[in-house]
Amino acid sequence: MSHRKITYTVPRMGYTYAAFESFFKILGYDVIIPEPTNTETLKAGVSNSPEYMCFPFKILLGQFERVLENNPDRYFKIISLESYGPCRFGYYSPLYYKILKDKGFTNFEIVNVEGIYPPIYKGIPRFIVKLIKLTGWHAPWTSIKAFVIAGWKVYATEQLEQKLFYMIPREKVSGSTEKIFNRAIESIRNAPNKVKSIKKILNDELKNMENNSHVDRDDLPKIGLVGEAYILMDYSNNLDIEKKLAYMGVDVDRSLRVTNWTLDRILRPKSHKAHMLEVNKGYLNFFIGGDGQESIMNTILYKKAGYDGVIQAQPFGCLPETAAKEILSRVSADYDIPVLSLAFDEQTGEAGFVTRLEAFVDLIKSRRQKENDKDKKVHISTSVN
Amino acid sequence: MKIGIPRALYFYVYYPMWYGFFSSLGHEIKLSVPTNKEIINLGVANSVDDICISVKVFHGHVKYLLDRKDVDFVFVPRIVSEDKYKYTCPKLSALPDLMVSAFNNDSKRILTANFYTRQGEGHIFKAFKEIGEQLGDSDEKIKKAVKEAIKYQKMATKCLRAGHTFLEIVKNIRDLDGLASIPVEKKRYTVALAGFPYDVYDSFANGDIIVKLQDSGVGIVTTDMLDPKVYNHYKKYMIKDLFWYQANAAAKGGLYYIDSSDIDGVISISSFNCGISSIYQKLLDLYSKEIGKPVMHIIVDEQTGDAGLVTRIEAFIDLIRVKRGDGLVTQEDNVHGTEDGVHVRGV
Repeated sequence: MSHRKITYTVPRMGYTYAAFESFFKILGYDVIIPEPTNTETLKAGVSNSPEYMCFPFKILLGQFERVLENNPDRYFKIISLESYGPCRFGYYSPLYYKILKDKGFTNFEIVNVEGIYPPIYKGIPRFIVKLIKLTGWHAPWTSIKAFVIAGWKVYATEQLEQKLFYMIPREKVSGSTEKIFNRAIESIRNAPNKVKSIKKILNDELKNMENNSHVDRDDLPKIGLVGEAYILMDYSNNLDIEKKLAYMGVDVDRSLRVTNWTLDRILRPKSHKAHMLEVNKGYLNFFIGGDGQESIMNTILYKKAGYDGVIQAQPFGCLPETAAKEILSRVSADYDIPVLSLAFDEQTGEAGFVTRLEAFVDLIKSRRQKENDKDKKVHISTSVN
Repeated sequence: MKIGIPRALYFYVYYPMWYGFFSSLGHEIKLSVPTNKEIINLGVANSVDDICISVKVFHGHVKYLLDRKDVDFVFVPRIVSEDKYKYTCPKLSALPDLMVSAFNNDSKRILTANFYTRQGEGHIFKAFKEIGEQLGDSDEKIKKAVKEAIKYQKMATKCLRAGHTFLEIVKNIRDLDGLASIPVEKKRYTVALAGFPYDVYDSFANGDIIVKLQDSGVGIVTTDMLDPKVYNHYKKYMIKDLFWYQANAAAKGGLYYIDSSDIDGVISISSFNCGISSIYQKLLDLYSKEIGKPVMHIIVDEQTGDAGLVTRIEAFIDLIRVKRGDGLVTQEDNVHGTEDGVHVRGV
């Protein structure tokens, strides 16, 4: 709608951008979703950010800069979700503002949606003001509808993703499921704003993917992914690590998704923290922000669930994850589970990355082989004795 | 008992407090040697590769103390908060856990407690009581020792405010009152060092920048000499407070020094891969662009060569001189510190 004259832009994260898009569209605003990370956005981001700033900051700065550059005639509200915590995530928006202003952009303002942080008597009013600033005045049912639809779209895309990574190592014709998946994501994005129709599309597409010709097998090596949420959830930043692993014939599971992240951190933080402290006992029983504690917890949980290996994906120099990395080396030794730490930055090359993944998958396969042989050997040795 | 205190990280902030506490209880304090090549190598060998150098150096100091058989405990406190709603970096708040992970065999010799220094003396007392109990001291003695500890810390703060560096405080720990009464000599040029105390004062890790500046006839001030009251209004420029106390001090202190007229330039010192300093360095950059005061960033790592650093410091001093209208260094001025052959100035 042109009379509002405000265009929204949001950080792009994985396939969930469709949800954000429909959220603002239902409220009646224009939205421009930044392009996925590519060399141009990276170049713009890297050349203007501080050298040792986190990689996600550089990515997002580059994306926003490109959006502002390509649409000089629009006025933008840049949404920045952040918090006030030990992680540098809490100071993104002031730096965006200062850097973009310094570059000479004037057609934007930044709305940082933060959680409630102490002191609470100031925190709650501040949070409400931020929410109003974010969405403007609307009838409550429109806002609720926007939230519900966005939530469903996130859920649907994640269901589809999970199905995709389950099907890829099992499909008969390599790449056939991905084609169905790409079509499905598009149709979820363009779905009418009704829960019923989103549900129907989701169920149909899930069935489509399932019906793709495949071999049922449950002896595939299993790898869990832990690490920093943004790198983990956005396929364009982690060089499609999930898909690559899936095509190598691995059952891959990602520990953080938008749905369980929201559930754990916002809707039931208390029980989540209690669970985390119990699992992490003796390793890290202190809040260090970001996803550091979750990385350690999920590694232990993956081992307990029978996974063969864990990959920790982190942006280079991430504060909580580097701390977690050091502790993970002890977890890995104590629980006897291989852990590969991969740090991503603007110089991560595809070829070297694939080689490391392949080596890790080989290691896990050979460990499996050894374990199977050991079982056999035990029989032989007992018979000899 | 013999308590080892690693000469790294929060040593450069709270050493007077720890000294007061342990010495009043009658324990002997064993400081690790000032950082040297061997310590850095120990640290690099015992930590993960992409952690910041300051934490790597800390690993080295702890390892050095653990290897000494005459040290009973190594003191690795967890400093949680230093002011209201101001905390420490995640790596530092996970520090005892990191040490236990890195030196698992010796984990029983690591002495730790959580310090919430923002919540007043009650919480400091609680933390020290935990430590005192582990060492087997009586409640009464601990109470007295905590009072002594706080007294020492207050005296050290007084010395800092008077313009003495923390290195002088460490040297004169037994006579802080005497140190506070010595006036600081004023020099023609003054350079402010902004950064975390453990980066500014660790003379090996940062290439001895304080001595290099002083040898060149430049006086130095640091951000921890400032009373937080004088720079709190810079929150408006920063839009939002930083979460970390020391980063706030470095950022706001740096901004304050950029504004103040008797400071010629600001050098910010940080260690490689320190994430937090990248934030305040950008703020200092942008602000110095507005004000027009020279700002230089020095980022040190385990491979930093001395020659490159000397060149940069010389260039910075030249810049300051030119700005003041004194011109470049002439041959006659070129006598500072030539005896040891390190600080030779070429023109």
